[in-house]
Amino acid sequence: MTATPPALEVSGLKKHFPVQKGLLKRTVAQVKAVDGVSFAIQPGETLCLVGESGCGKSTVAKVALRLIEPTAGSIKLDGVEVSQLDAEAMRPFRKRIQIVFQDPYASLNPIRTVEAIVAEPLHIHGVFDAMGGNARVGWLLDLVGLSRTMTGRYPRELSGGQRQRVGIARALALEPRLLILDEPVAALDVSIQAQVVNLLMDLQVELGLAYLFIAHDLSVVRHISDRVAVMYLGRIVEEGTRDQLYARPVHPYTQSLLSAVPVPEPGNAGRRIVLEGDIPNPADPPGGCAFHPRCYRATERCTREAPAFAAYPGLDTRVACHHAGPLTADELPAAAEVLT
Amino acid sequence: MSGYILRRLAQLLPVTLLASLAIWAMIYAVPGGPVGAMVGENATPEQIRAVTERLGLDRPVLVQYGAWLGKALKGDLGLSLQNRQPVMELILERVPATVQLGIAAILIGLLIGVPIAILSALHPRSRLDRLLSGWSALALGVPTFWLGILLILLFAVELRWLPSASTYVAFWESPTKAISNLLLPATTLGVYVSGIFARFLRASLIGELHADYVRTARAKGLPERDVIGRHVLRNALLPFITIVGLMLASFIGGALVTEAVFTYPGLGRLLIQAISTRDYPLIQGAILFILVIYVVINLLVDVAYAWVDPRIEYG
Amino acid sequence: MSASQRPALVAARRVLAQKSAFMAAVFLLGMALIAFLAPWILPGDPLTQNLRHALEPPSAAFWFGADELGRDILTRVVYGARTSLVTALGAVAIAGLIGVPIGLVAGFYGGWRDAVLMRLVDVILALPGILFAMALIAVIGRSQMAALVAVGITGIPSFARITRAQVLSLRRRDFVIAVDAMGGSASHLMFRTILPNSWSPILVQIVILAAVAILLEAALAFLGVGIPPPTPSWGEMLRTGKSYLYEAPYYAILPGLVLTLTILALDTLGRTLATVLEDRQGSTGEPEPEGQRL
Repeated sequence: MTATPPALEVSGLKKHFPVQKGLLKRTVAQVKAVDGVSFAIQPGETLCLVGESGCGKSTVAKVALRLIEPTAGSIKLDGVEVSQLDAEAMRPFRKRIQIVFQDPYASLNPIRTVEAIVAEPLHIHGVFDAMGGNARVGWLLDLVGLSRTMTGRYPRELSGGQRQRVGIARALALEPRLLILDEPVAALDVSIQAQVVNLLMDLQVELGLAYLFIAHDLSVVRHISDRVAVMYLGRIVEEGTRDQLYARPVHPYTQSLLSAVPVPEPGNAGRRIVLEGDIPNPADPPGGCAFHPRCYRATERCTREAPAFAAYPGLDTRVACHHAGPLTADELPAAAEVLT
Repeated sequence: MSGYILRRLAQLLPVTLLASLAIWAMIYAVPGGPVGAMVGENATPEQIRAVTERLGLDRPVLVQYGAWLGKALKGDLGLSLQNRQPVMELILERVPATVQLGIAAILIGLLIGVPIAILSALHPRSRLDRLLSGWSALALGVPTFWLGILLILLFAVELRWLPSASTYVAFWESPTKAISNLLLPATTLGVYVSGIFARFLRASLIGELHADYVRTARAKGLPERDVIGRHVLRNALLPFITIVGLMLASFIGGALVTEAVFTYPGLGRLLIQAISTRDYPLIQGAILFILVIYVVINLLVDVAYAWVDPRIEYG
Repeated sequence: MSASQRPALVAARRVLAQKSAFMAAVFLLGMALIAFLAPWILPGDPLTQNLRHALEPPSAAFWFGADELGRDILTRVVYGARTSLVTALGAVAIAGLIGVPIGLVAGFYGGWRDAVLMRLVDVILALPGILFAMALIAVIGRSQMAALVAVGITGIPSFARITRAQVLSLRRRDFVIAVDAMGGSASHLMFRTILPNSWSPILVQIVILAAVAILLEAALAFLGVGIPPPTPSWGEMLRTGKSYLYEAPYYAILPGLVLTLTILALDTLGRTLATVLEDRQGSTGEPEPEGQRL
């Protein structure tokens, strides 16, 4: 017996956008939005992909969904390679992987009712009647905690949280095995965020879903994640189990992100690592390790040589850093700013 | 800059060529084809053979088009069927009349439109503003040909001040005669121009008046006249060019109709006469001529726009 | 249960709340109704000639006078409204049914399809609308159908451009990407998702273009290349009236007035519609309505 294949496995994924100029549209540069990303999500598991805006995490989501074509790399859904399939061949696979967007208003067709929005994927795949018709739509609305009185409403008549529930119900309509959650709570009020995250966790248990949860900071995803991958300028710089990554981050970037999370922990409380400078222009990334201009551990080697993404000895963590290691006490005064 | 012009040319050239191809091909679409168009449908076989040979209609289609375009580029648009005169000559004969009408109309349009735009921009949302914007709605809504008829009824039929039909008199030969002949048609066409300016110049003036540099100029204690004259109007040059581009198509159409109202001997009337007598070489020539003028003016507007506005990307 | 309102109804109510738009709508509706019911409410016929009454001034029998063939001018103006209505509907239908799909496909696929389609559309714009229509009529001959088709074709570019701009802005919106992710086909995306969300600028354009079509038809008739007589047409009446300015100065008044009011009404309606819909849609960045005047 072979083990169950991952729900989603990408390896060596690249997406480069050409920068064109002039009359003949010559390509003068490439924006390497995603530059060699690999990860696997097991059935029922949640992988969180975390990074600042512009790091390429949403591009990973769009490429994994085949909404945009990858420049290179492989995408496997339940062990089946789908990166080369044409639109028609891809169609059946679309049932297995669905997406929930960040902006719940922008992601719902404004001129359709809630009922029509949730039913649309069923109609597209011609399975509306086979999957139970209106009864299934009602069941889906129940599942995400929406009252049946909502069925005839238009998106603009709903609150942000209600809209996001509609978006989740739509994503679940075709019984997918994997949901890509592209910052699903970032646009919601803090009080609603927790409700939606809890709903997502309940749904995962109930339906055995796998999640690729994309977020721009680590605080939101702490509870929901099984594993966490941190992205910087198109690459994953550190990936590990949740407990390990939060407790003992070994990449300086992860450490700086975590120091921004207001979690009261003895010793670290109130200290924050402030990175220097801004995210570099992705069309012209720094040589060597792309993080080195902002890194407090950077050495001459980092400017020359890009670090490999490899297992960190002793931990269930993979990291891309020449100087990986837990944060040391003497780094804190140098790297951190004491907050009052 | 030159790159920008080149790019615009690269866009316009294929379109213009395609349009010229369509103009050339129209003679093939008329009943009886090009031969029928030349000699009528009841021609004898000898006549047909003669025309076929003379026009080289036995050659491949693209060769014929190439030959026609080549000649046209050299100014040879063939002979009119009506009086065997060269088409180019007939066209050039009419150009001064149309140009004079156009210039007069624009002058009248500016004379009415610019003060309206300035007045209403200085008092936006006032009663005066609403009254004046009513003018622009009316000026843009009234069909040129009806307005022309109304003007004739009033000034020619009732008051008998001006002629109801206008002839072309060159302005430098007899200014008074030229003006009395031009006043009605130029006003008819100028009302439309004034409406366009009143509406669009007002909008951009209001934008300019609230710009920071105007507040600075006022704060410096510059007289209001200088604020408007030196600063605002100069910066409104850009919208001016935009407006010219915007109204060009309607202006040419309006000129055509105006010429018909006043039986004014311009290019438009030449074309209408050609259509009613089925003088196909003349129809083709006149339309091709207007096409070229239209495309060139459009290009000039684009270039002028890019010239005045340094923010436009040429790259 | 709270009644959800269809977005179209909400917009319609807001347009009609404006006094000028309401009056415009009433005028247009009234005119369409009278034109439609003309055979039942008017005693005369627009084609029956009665040379004894030729160029008779306004009287109890001929409220707006009689024309050069003794036909009642009012009757002909009313029947002329039918001609204008048919031209407007037909031309807008032609322009929309060709222009909208062109804009959809060009904007949706981009690349060479976009370049080729939009360059073809530009050819129509290479000449001012009225000249293009005249050239076309010179080829296919003068008839009501020719006028309708010619006017319709000149309207294609505005529909194509506006639809294309709409597709380009909608294509990047999440709810369209969502349909893509569901596996919706290209035609589903274009016709079920994008097109229904593009209605507002297209609707504005329909109203604006109806005005342009009526004006253009009248201008063509006025130039003597439009709908051939004896079909009553406002433009044709103005053309004939112009020949009798001294004998019958009242001839050209009524057809011109009705034509002008119709155009002003459609214009008012279109502009109010544009403001209301833009307001509702907020950030979509509605393209400016396009239309050439004469």
